[in-house]
Amino acid sequence: MSQVTPLTHLKAWHSPESRTDVIQELIHGVDRYNPSNLSWMEEYLGTQVQTGEYDLFANLAILKLYQFNPQLSNPDVIINILIKALSATVHGPDFNLCLSLLREPATILSEIETEDQSLGLVMPLLQNMHELSRTCQFTAFWKEFNSESEASQLLRNTYVPQHANLIESLRNIFAASISSCFSAIPLVRLQRWLDIPAGEIHAWCSNVGWNVDGEVAAIPKNGDNDVKAGVVKEHVELSQLTKLVAAAAY
Amino acid sequence: MADPTAFYEAEDDDLLLASLPDPAVQSTADDFLDDGHRLDVDMAQLEMVPEDVKRFLVLFHGAILEGDLAGMAGMYEGGWNKLSQAHYSQSEWPEAELIAPLVQNDQVFLTLYRELYFRHVYAKLQPTIDDRFQSYENICELFNYLLNSEGPVPLDLPIQWLWDMLDEFVYQFQSFAQWRGNPKNKSEEELDLLAEAQQIWSCYSVLNVLYSLVQKSQINEQLQAEKEGKSPEEVAEIAGEYGSKPLYRNLGYFSLICLLRVHVLLGDPTLALQTMENVELGGAAFLTRITACHVTTYYHVGCAYMALGRWPDAIKTFVSVLVFFIRMKQYHTRSYQYGSITKTCERMYALLAICTTLSPGPSDESIMSIVKEHYGDQLAILQRGGPESVETFKELYLSACPRYLSVNPPPYEDPAALESFVPQDATQRHLDLFLSDVAAVSSAPSTRNLLKLYTSIDAAKLAAFMQADSDNAEEEVLQQLMLLKASSRTYARQEGTLLDGDRIVTNNLDFTIEKSMVHVEETTTHRRTAGFFIRNAEHAQRVFNTIRASPLPIQSRPRQPGQQQQQQREQKDQPNGNGPAKSGGGAWQPKRRVQIAA
Repeated sequence: MSQVTPLTHLKAWHSPESRTDVIQELIHGVDRYNPSNLSWMEEYLGTQVQTGEYDLFANLAILKLYQFNPQLSNPDVIINILIKALSATVHGPDFNLCLSLLREPATILSEIETEDQSLGLVMPLLQNMHELSRTCQFTAFWKEFNSESEASQLLRNTYVPQHANLIESLRNIFAASISSCFSAIPLVRLQRWLDIPAGEIHAWCSNVGWNVDGEVAAIPKNGDNDVKAGVVKEHVELSQLTKLVAAAAY
Repeated sequence: MADPTAFYEAEDDDLLLASLPDPAVQSTADDFLDDGHRLDVDMAQLEMVPEDVKRFLVLFHGAILEGDLAGMAGMYEGGWNKLSQAHYSQSEWPEAELIAPLVQNDQVFLTLYRELYFRHVYAKLQPTIDDRFQSYENICELFNYLLNSEGPVPLDLPIQWLWDMLDEFVYQFQSFAQWRGNPKNKSEEELDLLAEAQQIWSCYSVLNVLYSLVQKSQINEQLQAEKEGKSPEEVAEIAGEYGSKPLYRNLGYFSLICLLRVHVLLGDPTLALQTMENVELGGAAFLTRITACHVTTYYHVGCAYMALGRWPDAIKTFVSVLVFFIRMKQYHTRSYQYGSITKTCERMYALLAICTTLSPGPSDESIMSIVKEHYGDQLAILQRGGPESVETFKELYLSACPRYLSVNPPPYEDPAALESFVPQDATQRHLDLFLSDVAAVSSAPSTRNLLKLYTSIDAAKLAAFMQADSDNAEEEVLQQLMLLKASSRTYARQEGTLLDGDRIVTNNLDFTIEKSMVHVEETTTHRRTAGFFIRNAEHAQRVFNTIRASPLPIQSRPRQPGQQQQQQREQKDQPNGNGPAKSGGGAWQPKRRVQIAA
């Protein structure tokens, strides 16, 4: 069953379990500036792409090496890192953290000798999709994703197939946003927001543990979609009163 | 020794000249005598140096040779600044070569002297390209001496100086990178020099110095061991022959903070926070010993949190250092860095206006009242939201954010490419990213205000109120609600490293959507009073104790000395007040007895 709730703690974000000791050492030491480690790091990204795992900090270390050695930049790697960040979180800072280490696609391409202009097409598309995703415009997101524009086709035909479960991940992070708001949602809407064909929506829902009742999916309580009006009362710990109690005691 | 005014009295001229050791001149002879004429000129110029400056340098040199930290600190913080003001407010200090005979041509001292010399140039004058290059070469020479001598060098400097030195190192790097970033308005000569000297003040070389200091001092290992509660001996063993020396340990520690700063400037906030993983930030942390260091650290940590969208953590960070600064203000008005510290604090108030708008919630009232005082108008515009607030966000951010740097210099080595080069403004890039963060949540405040009015409302009806486009109104409203939900959730640090955080709710207005019906729930918070009562009760108790411990009021009738002593002893032994309370203490004693009886 897939997980469709947000992380409760950031440990898995800054130190995912899938990270090996070698990589851990690399990104925690000065070796992260050594360009000869680049192939290691890119290989690790390759693994992430193939398995669907995600290690933002390792990917940022690659971008850092590109920042210092622009002539080593690999446009395909950059695109894959951005796709990873895009499909990892809706509201997290990941995508913008990658962008803050990058420059304009044209500048990046001007530093390396290449005929391939994919980066110039795909990077702006991904940036646009990120804006749509983070503002919860999921319908518009899929429209962009599935559009017939050159950039979208390139993305779908060349890059998406490299990634394991990319569409699945995108659906899951959107579902996490939805599940923190809705306790019940009409299937039609869910289908549109997750870009799931009508025939598959039931299977998808049961896979994430949502109960379908007629035309509505009921989302299990998760703390965010079952809020109760509360009253925050003041709690006084005994330890706060030690001085007073001690003073009264004699 | 610490009294810097001592340098002003020019009474012992003869003594000073006599104390100028002749052998020194001879020992420098190897370097100088091949040009006898020049030596004469230098000596003549040395004559021109004011006597109090000469005496200061001789004493300063002496203090460093003796390792007299208190003396050094006094001269470094007091004498140097006073003499700068008195003689060099418009000009450079004398060249190091000129004063070399005063200090027996001690190269280490001269390197330290040049470090102060260039710092003065940067602070008071306009540095030329030669100054920039030479200050780089000089500081590299110093670090080279520290890092690549055979074994730890026999030198110690006051921590304030060590911090200032590294702080200045990063500042000059930043200043150079900004100056180099724009190839316009550069003379031919400057362009040539920049084309030739790519490595000068390069990011790599600056990071190299900082990381080398960190590694040499084993500072991360030391801090980790201390955190684990290892004994000082064990820590010293882990620190090794370098790290166990205060000089190296302190340099390593401050290097971590400079790395934090450089990583933030280069646009890598996660790496910045990761660098600080072993550094304690609490109130008693080592970094709080130097106000400038304390303020710089918290400012950059706060900025890194902002880039991660962790507004509550940013607010907490800024507030804590501002509270500290207000309390410490009175003691620091004379420090030469006071101006830059105040400026950084001013920036943090502006950033607080931004953060508290993006993540409203209770925060320190005294600090927020200053924010309102300084940025009241802007705050009102920010909180109103909408498109016109964007301009204000931009203004505040630009005035208060760090001066971001581009890693890569313009292609000075390639005149053709340079011709067509468009300067890239790293700050602009970060501004755009920040504004995209702001734009993403810009609708949240108005949605929240509208929701406040209802306990439950249909999304379609809400859409009508929000004047959304009729086409897809309901969907748009639901999007905005999801956005509101997201903007009221974030991660905040509870424990662990700076990067750790738990998911928290930052808003008291919450809701659930059931199909298209929005149920609104508002959490109310009771006013907190216990803290107030506890504080005041404890205060009252302290006052009471003070009164009880103070000597009895003057007696109306003189008493036998022996009797009085005995009485006092009895009172001490029996504090419950059963002792003989005489008329003199009567004002409070009976009350005490009543209290006990009750």
